[in-house]
This record gives sequence, C-alpha cells and structure tokens, in this order.
Amino acid sequence: METFWEVFKRHGVSRRDFIKFATTITGLMGLAPSMVPQVVKAMETKPRVPVIWIHGLECTCCSESFIRSATPLASDVVLTMISLEYDDTLSAAAGEAIEKHREKIMKEYWGNYILAVEGNPPLGEDGMYCIIGGRPFVEILKESAEGAKAIIAWGSCASWGCVQAAKPNPTNAVSIDKVITDKPIIKVPGCPPIAEVMTGVIMYMVLFDRIPPLDSQGRPKMFYGNRIHDTCYRRSFFNAGQFVEQFDDEGAKKGWCLYKVGCRGPTTYNSCGNLRWYNGLSYPIQSGHGCIGCAENNFWDNGPFYERIGGIPVPGIESKADKVGAVAAAAAAGGAILHGIATKVRKSANKEEE
Amino acid sequence: MKRVVVDPVTRIEGHLRIEIMVDEETGRVKDAVSCGTMWRGIELIVRNRDPRDVWAFTQRICGVCTSIHALASLRAVEDALGITIPKNANYIRNIMYGSLQVHDHVVHFYHLHALDWVSPVEALKADPVQTAALANVILEKYGVLNEFMPDFLGRRAYPKKFPKATPGYFREFQKKIKKLVESGQLGIFAAHWWDHPDYQMLPPEVHLLAVAHYLNMLDVQRELFIPQVIFGGKNPHPHYIVGGVNCSISMDDMNAPVNMERLAVVEDSIYTQVESTDLFYIPDILAIADIYLNKHNWFYGGGLSKKRVIGYGDYPDEPYTGITNGDYHKKLLWRSNGVVEDFYKGVDKAKFYNLEGKDFADPEQIQEFVAHSWYKYPDENKGLHPWDGITEPNYTGPKEGTKTHWKYLDEEGKYSWIKAPRWRGRPCEVGPLARYIIVYTKVKQGHIKPTWVEELIVNQIDTVSKLLGLPPEKWLPTTVGRTIARALEAQMAAHANLYWMKKLYDNLRAGDLSVANMEKWDPSTWPKEAKGIGLTEAPRGSLGHWVIIKDGKVDNYQCVVPTTWNGSPKDPQGQHGAFEECMMDTVVKVPEKPLEVLRGIHSFDPCLACSTHLYNEKGEEIANVRVQGACI
Repeated sequence: METFWEVFKRHGVSRRDFIKFATTITGLMGLAPSMVPQVVKAMETKPRVPVIWIHGLECTCCSESFIRSATPLASDVVLTMISLEYDDTLSAAAGEAIEKHREKIMKEYWGNYILAVEGNPPLGEDGMYCIIGGRPFVEILKESAEGAKAIIAWGSCASWGCVQAAKPNPTNAVSIDKVITDKPIIKVPGCPPIAEVMTGVIMYMVLFDRIPPLDSQGRPKMFYGNRIHDTCYRRSFFNAGQFVEQFDDEGAKKGWCLYKVGCRGPTTYNSCGNLRWYNGLSYPIQSGHGCIGCAENNFWDNGPFYERIGGIPVPGIESKADKVGAVAAAAAAGGAILHGIATKVRKSANKEEE
Repeated sequence: MKRVVVDPVTRIEGHLRIEIMVDEETGRVKDAVSCGTMWRGIELIVRNRDPRDVWAFTQRICGVCTSIHALASLRAVEDALGITIPKNANYIRNIMYGSLQVHDHVVHFYHLHALDWVSPVEALKADPVQTAALANVILEKYGVLNEFMPDFLGRRAYPKKFPKATPGYFREFQKKIKKLVESGQLGIFAAHWWDHPDYQMLPPEVHLLAVAHYLNMLDVQRELFIPQVIFGGKNPHPHYIVGGVNCSISMDDMNAPVNMERLAVVEDSIYTQVESTDLFYIPDILAIADIYLNKHNWFYGGGLSKKRVIGYGDYPDEPYTGITNGDYHKKLLWRSNGVVEDFYKGVDKAKFYNLEGKDFADPEQIQEFVAHSWYKYPDENKGLHPWDGITEPNYTGPKEGTKTHWKYLDEEGKYSWIKAPRWRGRPCEVGPLARYIIVYTKVKQGHIKPTWVEELIVNQIDTVSKLLGLPPEKWLPTTVGRTIARALEAQMAAHANLYWMKKLYDNLRAGDLSVANMEKWDPSTWPKEAKGIGLTEAPRGSLGHWVIIKDGKVDNYQCVVPTTWNGSPKDPQGQHGAFEECMMDTVVKVPEKPLEVLRGIHSFDPCLACSTHLYNEKGEEIANVRVQGACI
C-alpha cells in the first residue's frame, strides 16, 4: 500500500506543498502547531487503509452527508486517503461478487481494516427485517467486526438506535454496541453527522493510526466536547433574555434565541455551533429552527420538539446558563443520559490527560 | 433455464434482492423476482405524536431523497388542518424541492448509475485528445436543448462550471485511474464485472469522459444542495415548520436567517444547478443514449412504462387552500397527475385517465395487495385502500434454504417486505419517465393548455426525438428513456428554480416578508378530528402521505411511496410490478453476470428504505409482531 507522501509525490506535489497541506490538516483537526512534525511523519509512513462500510436499517443520510464534505472533498477521501473496498451505496460491484470481495479484504487485511457501520441491526424475527445476501444483517455485522482494527458507528442509528428504535421500536432495532461488545466503537452520532466531522474522524485515524480520544460515551472529544448552546452565535440573546416567542415574529427576523419555541441546544453535544454545516455555511439554529437534538440518545422520544425544555430559568445570566445544561439534561433525558454528569466526567478526564 | 440471484443490489438506497430465470439459449429473462429486504415501521412510530413533529420523523424514511417525505408530511398535516402557507414559504419550499430534484438526479446518474454504462478500465484505452474533441462535439450537438431553457434572472456573466474539455484534463484523470488500477486497491471500483461485453458498446473516449465527470460531479454535487442549507439549516435532512418555513426574512438584520447575502448564496447555487445539468448531465447522457439506441439497437427495459404509468402532479405556482378539496391540482405548474396507458402505441393512441384531489380519498382508486408480500390479509385476493389497510407481518421464509439463510425465494408464494399498490387493480410505473409521458400525452392530446413548465417538457421531448431521429413512443419507454427523462427533469427543475427565485424577489420587493402562517399553530385551534392527504412528485416518483389527527395527536398515518409502486411483487392476478416487468423485457448476454438487468433496475433509482415500512392502526405492542394497519 502507498503512503500519503508517495501518493502526493506521484501527483507531482512538491515537498513544500506537502508540508503546507499537513499544516492545514493539523489545524483542521484542532491540534497544536507543535504537532505538525508528527502529522508529517504519519503521512509519510501510513498506507491507505481499507474500509468496509456496511449498511443496516438506515436511510443512507450518513453516506449522503459524507459526500457533502468540503475539506477534504469526497473524491480525495475516497481515492487517496482510504480505500473504500465495500460500500452498498458507492461500490460498482453487486451480489456475490461484492460479498466475496468483502470476505477477501477481511482475510487479506485481518486486523488492519476499518469497519464503518451505517444503520443498525434489528433483532426481531431472527434478524430478518434487514437481509443482505439472503442472511440477517446482524450476522454480517458480527462477522465483519471480528477482524476490524477499529469500528466506527456512523450516525445516530448505529450509535444510539435512532428513528426505527423510537417507541414502539417495531423491529427491535438496537445500537451496534449491543451486538459488538468486545471492541472499541467510535460513536459519531447525528442524523446525519456533520460531513466534516465524518471525514475528520477518518483523517485522524488514517494519519495517527489510532482512534481519536473519546468521551465517556464513546464520542470523539474534538467534535462532541461542547454543547450547541455554549457555541451558539445566538447565545448572547439567551443571556440577554431576548427570545423568539413565535416563528416568524420580530424576534425571529432579528435572529434572537429560539429556546422558547423549542431548542435542544442546551442538552445537545455536537459541532453545529462551532464547525457548522457545509464548511461553516449554516446550521439549523441559523436557519431559524431550534435544534432537535439529533446527536443525542433517544432524541425522538424526548419530544415534542416545539416545547421548551422544562425547569430552566429564563432569561438567565452566564452563571445560571451553566446550570441550565445540567438541569435541562436531567429533565429531558429521562434517566438515559445525564449531561451534567457527563460534562463533569469529561472535565476530570481532560485534567488527567493534561 | 438458469436461476441467477443478485443480492445485495448495490448503488441504490436500502436493501434489494433480485432473482431472474434466464433462458440460456436466447438470454431472455423469463421470470423475475424483486424482493425488498428491509422493514422499519416509521408510520407506526409516528402514532400518538404531535403532528407538527411528524415531518422530522418521516423525513428519516430516506436520506437520499431527503426533504421529500418532510414535504409530503407538511402538506398532509396542512391539508388536514386547513392551513394555507404564505407565498414566500411556497416559493422557498419549491426551491428546496427543486434543489432535491437536481441533486438527486445528478448523483443518481453519475454515482449510482454511470458504472452500468461506462468502465474505468475501458477509460484507460482512450486517447485524451480525442476525448477532448468528443466533449466539444457533444456540447455543441446537445447544447440545442439549452437554447430554449429560460433564464428568469439573467444574472450570470458566464458559466462558472464549464466542462474542462482539454486533453490535459482528461490525461490527468486517466493517470489517476491507471495508478489506482496498478496499486491493486481499486476501492469503489473493485470486483465488478468489468469484463462484460456491454462495456465494449461505447468507444473508450466516452468511458473516459464519463468517468472524469463521475469524479468531477462527486465534488460538485454538494453545491447543488446549498439552498436547503440556507433555508433549512443543514443537508441531509433540512428543517421546516407546519404552516410555512422557519427561515424568517429581514433586509435590516445580518442575524436574520435570510437576508440579501443569504439569497445571493442561494442564487449562485441555482446557477451551479443549471450549469451542471445543461453542460454536463444532458450532453453526457445523450451521447451514451444515442450510441445505445441507434448503433446497438438497445431498446430493452421499458416493461410496465409501455403499458401504464401514474403521476400526482407538483409545483404549486401559488399557495393553495387544500389538496383533498381539489385546489392543489388547480394551482399546479406541472400537472403530471393522471394515468396513461399504452404510450408505446404512439401519443395519439395512448389512453389518458385524470386523477385529482378527491380521487386520492376514493377507496376504489388506490389499493394495496399482499398476496406475495410477507403480510396477512383476511382475504388475500382483495386489495385494501390505505385507510382500511391491515398489516400483519407474516414472514414465511424462502422456497429453498432456511429461514435465515436463503437460496431461492418462493415466487409462487410470499417473497418480499414490499406490498403491491395498484390503481383500479392495475400495476403502474412511477417516476420521471411516468411524469414526462403523462404531461406529453395531456398536452399533445389537448387535455390541458400548457403552462411554461409543461411547454418546456414537450419541447425537451420533441427536441430529443429529433436529435435521436426516433419518435417518443420508441425511445421513451425503455431503460435508456427512463434515464434520459430523469436528466431532462433535472434540467427543468434547475431552470424552474430561477423562476421561483424571481417570484420570491418580486414578492419581497412588494413588501411581503412573511414565511409562516401561525394562525393554527396552537393545537387548541384544531378540530377534534381531521383527515389530510399530502401529495408530491418525489425524485423516484409519486408520493402520498395520509394522516388522521385526533385530539391533537396523530391517530393514523401512512405513506404510499414510489419504490413501493415500482418495486412491488406480484398481485393476486399475477401482475408484476415495474422492476419485474423491466427485467422481463431485457435480454442478458452473460446469464451469471446480468449487467443489463442491473442497469434496468438502476434506471428506476430504487429506494428501499422508502418502500418498506409498517403502519399500525391499533397500536399494539409490537414485540409480538402482530400488527394491524396498512403497509407501505
């Protein structure tokens, strides 16, 4: 397999441009400039990693989001960074040919390929609510996980269960960590996840040959370390007590805080506020709609979406706003996740590392 | 007779299996089985929820045709509650919808369908100089279609996305492909039937051109969806609200969701849509189509489209007061609603049946059957209207193999998670091809006086007929025609977006900034019980959502979806759905590598997550999979 530097050389990219690229990438991944030499070294020595990308019960929005990535662009990821050897959506081959190829890649790269999972397995009817090659998807999932060096759970389906697992969960669909219990799983939740978060996770793994630092729930810290509420450009309106009272009112036209018409920003960890979608172009709150919390566990059953989260003193001031997160999470999550606690755990973990 | 299985069918949304019985002497496909192999239950999940939330749930039916199930849901709830959305919201929703049409069709052709026609291996044999020359020839030849395409804004100084038709450009692509092949890591191109004789049908230069544009468009496609990111905050899965759109407009405030800068971003993206369809998609598909039809006489795969197509209509020019009350169909710019039979006999001999508002509530018009689906009805010879449907899962396993390890499906018994929708007991094809056949027939037979959109469609069809030297009834109802119709539709939608943008600007200039009608936002203003229907033309075909609201909650919800129509198994009369008819209208050269069949199936742009879900009418606990309701 070729290394990045070899690929670049082959493209006639100068050493100078290569270093420039590595520097940009370092910044993009939120790493300190002192890390540049390590990134360069990684790019010189790491070959293209084979990726097997399987699909369970899902809607393919994760794949669609992935190809929306602007930095890096989809063509660069697929043809120069990874080797996407199996993917229901993009693979040219079909049927037995592609299934045999998956087996071949698993054997050839045993312990060295990345398994990416979009969607989740239904356990009802012996798994036959999702069938690949005449077999239950759950069987393919277990089999493909065995030789993987790392597993990525794309989106809220694979990470938490998402829409098909919302009440009453007719097919008994479960997140993949209910089925694969002996391997670390990188959860990249969101419905879908932000494109540049997806490619950012891939790039990190390719360059450093390790999984990115994860929080207590298995999410990459660099992308899920902040509540949307804390990074939201409308936060100052929240603090000032300036709210949209009804859609399309004067406050809505002025871009005031959407908390009162239903916004899960205070209980949702994702990069929508800082990274935003489409390379910083917008995010739901910027378009005038509250966050529906799509990166959070059980968000479908924590509705209705247009009701404000209870138990939060508004308008708040900065010191109160921190409490808001903890109170709101406890109220909204119904015991499933306690963000207040998660935040504390995360903070102490960070300290240890430092 | 040889039985060939393709499972999984890749380059589609969701999970699909096909089985074909091939006569090895003639290559004819004698029988064909299409099996939806996934099932989730979204309609059941939305029960008892706030109707204002449902668009978000149903949107997750599909992330490829993202936003269309949200739109259908909003329309259904608004129809039930009697909500008329403001003008700006209508124009913005149309732009978001049109952007989906363009994006979905472009990605379908280049990234899901192109590799049925072209091969990176053949591209290596091409001469880059000749490829550049070819690119120029087809731009000139098929550019005649662009000549009558309206530009309602006239604000592009020159095309920013113009094909780079130079030898150096194509040489770089060729080098890239060569290195990829040499590295042994073929990635997405691995393990395919590249040795299939059909890849010899086109000259190497067409292969190189199309493979280059495959990669080029992989990077451009994201820009086509920018309008949804501005108006809906993200893509896939942008946001909406019942009563209009969430993106308030102000020309006084940079913090406003929509202001002058944001509109300029949308406008720029729409021109990218125009250029991607006018200058890439249309010339590329017509270059391939001309060789397939005229040089190789390859007219396979028409199947059901020759016999019967159905459509619902879309593009409300102005806000309407309801769908069930008939006002929706009076306001449409694109009246593809109706049924056309026997188009293959010629447009003058085709039969047209109208379909509008009230017909969608009529229990005799649209029904679903389960004789060959894994569900149980009290009387499986009868169909049921969606409102009266029953869904009792009844998985019976395959004919050969075990419950969880299939060899062959049971084509005489039950064999799919998809139900079989029928119109007056008859199967119909849906999709861009159906819509184009219906509008063409309605205009040519004089049933309607054409709007500008309909006139454009007729013009496109007549121009392509001239370019190909073939009458529409010969080239349209084929696998190739299905693929051309989709491209023409994308081109129309891109130009229509300029029209909606102009209407939006005009209305803003007139001083109307409203984007949401909030009069009936509060559930206390709703009737105790209300019923509504939401219709739209999804990229893959006609889509309907039916909702019943009781005491402020969803009591009953269901969707009849394009791939349910097209991918349906047989009905009790043994009539096949469109996928199966298409396969049986195709000849394969190498039975164990049925590339021709795969091409036919891909020409429908199958979406399986859309086609298979479950609705529960009584809301029993589902752990025991005994469920009442209507399946879609």
